[in-house]
Amino acid sequence: MDLNLLVGGEAGQGVQTVSGALSTILQRSGYFVFSIEDYQSRIRGGHSFTQVRFSNIPCRAALKMVDILICLNEETYELHRERVKEGGWILGAVKKEEGAPSFHLIPLNFEEIAKEVGNKIFANVVAIGAILGILGLDFKIADNYLEENFARKGKEIVEKNKQALKRGRDEVIPYFFSSLIEGTKREKIPLLVLDGNQALGLGALLSGCQFYSAYPMTPSTGILNFLSSRAQDYGIAVEQAEDEISAINMAIGASYAGARAMTGTSGGGFCLMSEGLGLAAMTETPLVVVDAQRPGPSTGLPTRTSQGDLEFVLHASHDEFPRFVFAPREPQEAINLVIRAFNLAEKYQVPVIILSDQYLADSKWTYENLEVRERPDVPQFSSFPLPYRRYLISPSGVSPRAIPGLSKALVVADSDEHDEFGHLTEDLSLRVEMHQKRMRKKETMKEEVRLPYYEEGKDLTLVGWGSTWGVIKEVQERLRMEGIDSGIIHFSEIYPLPLKIEELFGHTSRPIVIENNYGGQLANLLEGELHLPFPLRINSYDGRPFLVEELLLKVKEVGKNE
Amino acid sequence: MSNSFDSQIEIAWCPGCGNFGILRALKGALTELEFSPEEVVLVSGIGQAAKLPHYIAVNVFNGLHGRSIPVALAIKTVNPRLLVIAESGDGCMYGEGGNHFLHALRRNPDITVIVHDNQVYGLTKGQASPTSEEGFVSKAQPWGNISTSLNPLSLAISQDASFVARGFSGDVDRLKEIIKAALTWNGFSLVDVLQPCVTFNRVNTFAWYKERVYYLEDSYQPEDRIRALEKSLEWGDKIPLGVIYRHQRPTFQDKIYSRIEKEDLIYRGIDFDDLLSRELKLFV
Repeated sequence: MDLNLLVGGEAGQGVQTVSGALSTILQRSGYFVFSIEDYQSRIRGGHSFTQVRFSNIPCRAALKMVDILICLNEETYELHRERVKEGGWILGAVKKEEGAPSFHLIPLNFEEIAKEVGNKIFANVVAIGAILGILGLDFKIADNYLEENFARKGKEIVEKNKQALKRGRDEVIPYFFSSLIEGTKREKIPLLVLDGNQALGLGALLSGCQFYSAYPMTPSTGILNFLSSRAQDYGIAVEQAEDEISAINMAIGASYAGARAMTGTSGGGFCLMSEGLGLAAMTETPLVVVDAQRPGPSTGLPTRTSQGDLEFVLHASHDEFPRFVFAPREPQEAINLVIRAFNLAEKYQVPVIILSDQYLADSKWTYENLEVRERPDVPQFSSFPLPYRRYLISPSGVSPRAIPGLSKALVVADSDEHDEFGHLTEDLSLRVEMHQKRMRKKETMKEEVRLPYYEEGKDLTLVGWGSTWGVIKEVQERLRMEGIDSGIIHFSEIYPLPLKIEELFGHTSRPIVIENNYGGQLANLLEGELHLPFPLRINSYDGRPFLVEELLLKVKEVGKNE
Repeated sequence: MSNSFDSQIEIAWCPGCGNFGILRALKGALTELEFSPEEVVLVSGIGQAAKLPHYIAVNVFNGLHGRSIPVALAIKTVNPRLLVIAESGDGCMYGEGGNHFLHALRRNPDITVIVHDNQVYGLTKGQASPTSEEGFVSKAQPWGNISTSLNPLSLAISQDASFVARGFSGDVDRLKEIIKAALTWNGFSLVDVLQPCVTFNRVNTFAWYKERVYYLEDSYQPEDRIRALEKSLEWGDKIPLGVIYRHQRPTFQDKIYSRIEKEDLIYRGIDFDDLLSRELKLFV
C-alpha cells in the first residue's frame, strides 16, 4: 500500500492545516508518512499545495502521480487533475467533465457543509473528514487530534469540530464501497513525525546549544521558531537579530564567551553573513551556521527549493580558511549532523556550514524510532600557561582555547592578523606562520569526514548530496526492479572531501550526478579535486524538488549507453 | 599611572592623539573600580580607536568594522559576571555599525559603549565621518561634506537609551569619572567622547573644543528626558559634557534570564538522555 494525496487551495484557505492534520493522524494510525509543501511568497491568495504520501513501509520521496486530489478551490482541480491516476479520486471543488473521466469525482462544497455545522471556519475539518472517510480510517485518532488542538478553545468548539469531521465522512459514504486501505493496516506502533527544520533545531538542543541568533528568512525561520518554543524549557538565549550581520556576530560573541552557538538563514542572509564567517575563521571561534537554500540569485524564489549554494558556501568570505560543509539527507540525519557540527566546530575551532533547503526544511518524515548516534563532545583544555597564547602555533594548527573569565588567562581574539597572544601584527613572516597554522587544520579535518552513502552498481551510479537522497534511493530501487543495476554515492559530509574518496570513485560505473542547480556544483567540485570527468549530469532548477517518476525517466535517458 | 591593566604592546597612534586621554581615563576607571583584568572584556571594531583594547591588559575581542555591539551583547548574555565594554570610533559605531547601535538602544543590553568621536576617519586618512560637520572638506569630499552631521546623543535620548553621557578626552580626570558612572550603570550606557584628531581634523582641534565645552552643573537632573534632549541639541559655541540622560529600565539580560530562569548560560549543561526522551514524546 502506497498512497499519494495532494491538497491544494489558495494561501489562507488552510492547505497546511489540512495536510498537517492528515500527516499526524496517518502517522498515529500506524503509517509511514512523507509530505512536502509547495507554497508562494504571500499570505493570502495564489496557489499552494501539499503532498502527503503514506505507506506501510517507509517512504522518503515525493511522487508525481496522485491517488486522491483534494481541491479546496477550482484552480486546484485545473492545475492538478492531469496528475491523478486512473481510478483515483478527486474531491471538493471539482468541475463537470465531458464524457467519462478515468477517475472518481466527488463534488463537495466544504464551506457550505461547514456552514450547516455552524461556521465556515470548519471547512478544513470537513475536508479532513471526507479524506479519512475515503480511506476508511478509524475516527478515534482524528477525534483525539481535534480534542488536543481545540481543547483550549472550549468544549463547544471541540464538539463542533467533531461534528464537522463526521459530516465530511458522511458526505463521501455514498461514493465508495470499501476502504482504500483495508487489509493493509499495520500493527499499531509508535511513530515519530518531524520536518527538517525541527530536526535541525532538535540537533541543536541535543548539542547543548545555549545561544541562537537569527533574522527570519524563509525557509530557515522554522529553526528560529522551534528553538524559541524550547528556550524556556532548556534555558537557551534565542534572539531575533536586526539583520544577519548582527545574527552571526552575536553567535560568534556567544561562542567566544564559551557558549555553544548557532545561527541560521537562507542564501541571501548568508551573503550578509560571509563577513562574519571570515571573522569566525580568523579569530578561530567555533561556529555552526545553517543555510537553508532557496533559488536565487538575490531574492529569487523565496518559498522554493534549490541546491544552488554549495559553491558559494565552499568559498564564502575572502581569502582562504578551512571549514566543514555538511548537508543532511533527511531529518534523522540532520539531528546527528548538527551534533557532529558542534563537536567538530569546537574541536577544530572552525566554522561548520550545514546546507539544508526548502524541500528538507518543510518536508515531514516519519520514523519508528529516531536513532541519535552522536553525543555532544566538548573538548577540555585545563591549564593555560601565562601569559596565555590564544593562537599558540601548534603542529595540528589547533591552539588550546581558554574562555574569558573562567581562568586567569586573558583571552585576546583579533580579526586582524595577529601574533600568538592575539595582538595585531604586521610581521609578515609571522603572518605566513599564522596562515599556515590555520590552513594546516584541513589535513586532520579530512580524516574526520565520513565517506558518502555507498551502494555498488554494475550499470550506473547515482551521485548526489543533501536532501536528494530519498528520491535517488527510490529511483535506484525502481531501476533495480527493471533490471538496471544502479549504485549510489550520496554525500552528506561534503567538505573537505573525505580521504579515500578517490578509491570509491575509482571503481564506480557511469556516475550520473543529480543536483537541484544549473551548473552541477558537486560534479564541478569532484572534477576539480579528483581530476576525474563527470560528464553525466541531471540538473533541475525550477524551484521544485525531483519527483520519483520524473527523475526515473531522466536517469534512463541520461544513463543510456550510446 | 601604573597598574595591573598596563599592556606591553607598542601603541600605533599619532603623537598627541586624543585617543591617549581615553585610554588613560578607561584604565583609571577600571583600576579605581577595582576590577581584575580577567573580569573585563573589551570588544572593538576597526579603526584607530578600535586598537585601544590591545593597549589594556584585559580580555579582548577585536572584531569587524561596526560589529562590536552584537558581539558585546552576546558575551554579556552568556556570562553576565563579565564587565563588557564595546568601544570604537564614530565611523565604526555610527556609520558601519549604525544599525546595531539603533537596536542596542531598544534592547538595553548591560554593556558600556565608548565612542571615540573625532568627527573624521583616521585610519583611512581623513574622509568625512557620520559626525563630520556639513561642509567639512577632505580628499573624498573636496567640495565639502554635503550631509549634515549625526547627533548620536539626541538619537539615543529620543529612543530612551538607559544612560547617555559625553566626555572630552582633553580632561582625563572628569572623563574617568563619567566612564566610572557608565561602567557601574545597570543597562546600556553610551559615552560619546569628543576626541581631537591631530592629523586629519583641522577644524575640531583641542583648542576648538576647549573654548566650547562646559560641564553640566550639579543641579542638572539627568532623569528629565525633554531637558536632556534640549541639552543634547546644544552644539556650536557651547557643548555640554557630563551625564546627560539616565533612565533605569530592565536590561536585555534581565529579560532573557527572567524567561529561562536558569543559572548563567555559560554554566548550563544538558541531560542528554532526559532531553531526548522528553523531545521524542513531543513528536509522536
